[in-house]
Amino acid sequence: MQKTRQRRPLGNPIGAIVFLLAVTTFAAVNAEEPQTTETPTGSEASQDAGTVQGTVYYHPDPKRKWRYQRFYVKNSKVGQLAEAVVVLTPEKRSREKSTHKPQTVTVDQKNFQFTPETTAIQAGDRVKFLNSDNQVHNVRSYHPFRSFNVSMPAGKEHVETFAKAGRIKRPYQIGCVYHSSMRAWIYVFDHPNFQVTKTDGQFELKNVPPGKYKLEMVHPAGELQWSQEIEVNAGKTETVDINVSPDDVNKKDS
Amino acid sequence: MTDQQTRRDILKAGATGMTAALAQMSLPSFVFPAQTEDEDLVPFLDMPRTGPNRLDWETLDEWLTPQDQVFSVQHYGVPEFETEGFQLEITGLVEKPQTLSLDDIKAMPKQDQLMTLECSGNGASKGFMNAVYNSKWTGTPLAPILKQCGLKPEAKEIVFFGVDRKEETLRKDTKRELKVEVPFGRSLSVEDAMNLNLLLAYERNGEPIEHRNGAPIRLIVPGWYGIANVKWLKRIEVRDRRYMGRYMGRDYVTVRGERKDGEVVFVESSVTRMNLKSIVARVTRQATDDKGVPVKAYGAAWDDGTGVKQVEVKVDDGPWQTAKLDEEPHAKFSWTFFSIDLGHLKPGKHTIVSRAIDVNGRIQPSADDDEIALKKTYWEAYQQWPREIELES
Repeated sequence: MQKTRQRRPLGNPIGAIVFLLAVTTFAAVNAEEPQTTETPTGSEASQDAGTVQGTVYYHPDPKRKWRYQRFYVKNSKVGQLAEAVVVLTPEKRSREKSTHKPQTVTVDQKNFQFTPETTAIQAGDRVKFLNSDNQVHNVRSYHPFRSFNVSMPAGKEHVETFAKAGRIKRPYQIGCVYHSSMRAWIYVFDHPNFQVTKTDGQFELKNVPPGKYKLEMVHPAGELQWSQEIEVNAGKTETVDINVSPDDVNKKDS
Repeated sequence: MTDQQTRRDILKAGATGMTAALAQMSLPSFVFPAQTEDEDLVPFLDMPRTGPNRLDWETLDEWLTPQDQVFSVQHYGVPEFETEGFQLEITGLVEKPQTLSLDDIKAMPKQDQLMTLECSGNGASKGFMNAVYNSKWTGTPLAPILKQCGLKPEAKEIVFFGVDRKEETLRKDTKRELKVEVPFGRSLSVEDAMNLNLLLAYERNGEPIEHRNGAPIRLIVPGWYGIANVKWLKRIEVRDRRYMGRYMGRDYVTVRGERKDGEVVFVESSVTRMNLKSIVARVTRQATDDKGVPVKAYGAAWDDGTGVKQVEVKVDDGPWQTAKLDEEPHAKFSWTFFSIDLGHLKPGKHTIVSRAIDVNGRIQPSADDDEIALKKTYWEAYQQWPREIELES
């Protein structure tokens, strides 16, 4: 007898590939700014640490259309890319025990869409899933660290704790079993140096301990990837604009 | 695939398939006509984003759907099996049962079938609007093979089983609960199986069918909803009585109230042929001038091969206006693209909706029409689909 493969979040092998490729995003360009996704990047800037800031731009090519552009690039002439996850991955992982105080962020199901679609949190944080549609939804994720599959009648809340960091390579991909177009990604990091861009495409990562890092950007819904080595120095601000184009769409993991 | 190749292939398919009016035409590229450079997309309001492997209506510009916008739905999971040594069995009430290898099937007469395939649940909700695509399927016709096998006189029905299997529970949570592992199956009457020009397909748009779409062999049933087009086809069995598998007799059963002498009588029927349907795929605008915002709408209409005669489009509470149907590309079982210049609209919110009318005068119903309003199940969601837009000044 043949083996039957369980449906992945996207219900097919392509979905599974997308899942493994670890791609990202969140709220609609035209939707209201999410209220609950402030990234916990720490408080006031410290003299012992550095800052990395910049803007993510998408540069379209009329000959190679990227069909998700309309969702994430509000002004195609400027190209500021929304819903990109920007993260500083340290060359050496810290051995210090995290002192992070867990927080709760909200992901709603509204108009048959996860809002925001892309969320980035720290290990130990909780995500409160809501259903604002007058419709039965579902929240499910298959992940090596934690799988769940929860029915979400209208008005229901479900809180899920994300204890273990999948980092940039392994986001928790969230789906609704009834509406396979609904997608969301939860990125879980074991440090605070990350952000999800809003419609202005900007990011500012403060209080970064000096050292060598890889500055990485993923846009899971749009299947974009980018990375660059970077050195962070105490008391200094590095400005790096991230420029991507159709060349960076659906790029295989390097 | 270049446009030129596609065009030639389409023409070939028209000559060998059941399509009409394909000859002697100069095909442009397969895009909506009349869309100019200065037209900007007006996004639909409150619509979910389109994920991968789903038709992206607002960017629809190819008559044959690219593979990355092709949906796949399966009920028993995507089966994993070796296609090497794959064999298709034709068995049951036949004089000469046959076992065909993939090479045997590919050596048989080759035929193309242009066809729009829609999931019968498509359009049931905002969250499921994109499960439809148009293809050129290539394979060999099934009817001659069945003739060769020789159907016995008592043959009534032909059942198509896939490789995919699952344990089904009947009469769940009762004393008579029964668990039984079954293969996925759908059936057709002998008459339908012999006359619908069924295809044992192994290619889609000139490429091998993707595994998730049913490789190595998928049954193609022109004009029928997706569920009839059995994927991973493994066994064709001729029987003398009705097959009542889950997806013929319990699921994919439309429950609908019909008015009889003032009384509503509910009738259950199996999901079979596609219904007449149209949808506005995209709305575009140009720069505002003295008269308002110039707006155009584009879309697609399809049915079970009966023939779409006309598509009409309405803005808000205005009159129905006749859209222009693309004369080409055109094929009996494929969608027809339409376009309409809606003139100048005032800035602000508007509702734009289309309805198709077929050669017999049947009109695509609205959601409050009895045949939709009294339908209690979500399959066969062919009601008119109003699109909401907002025009900035």
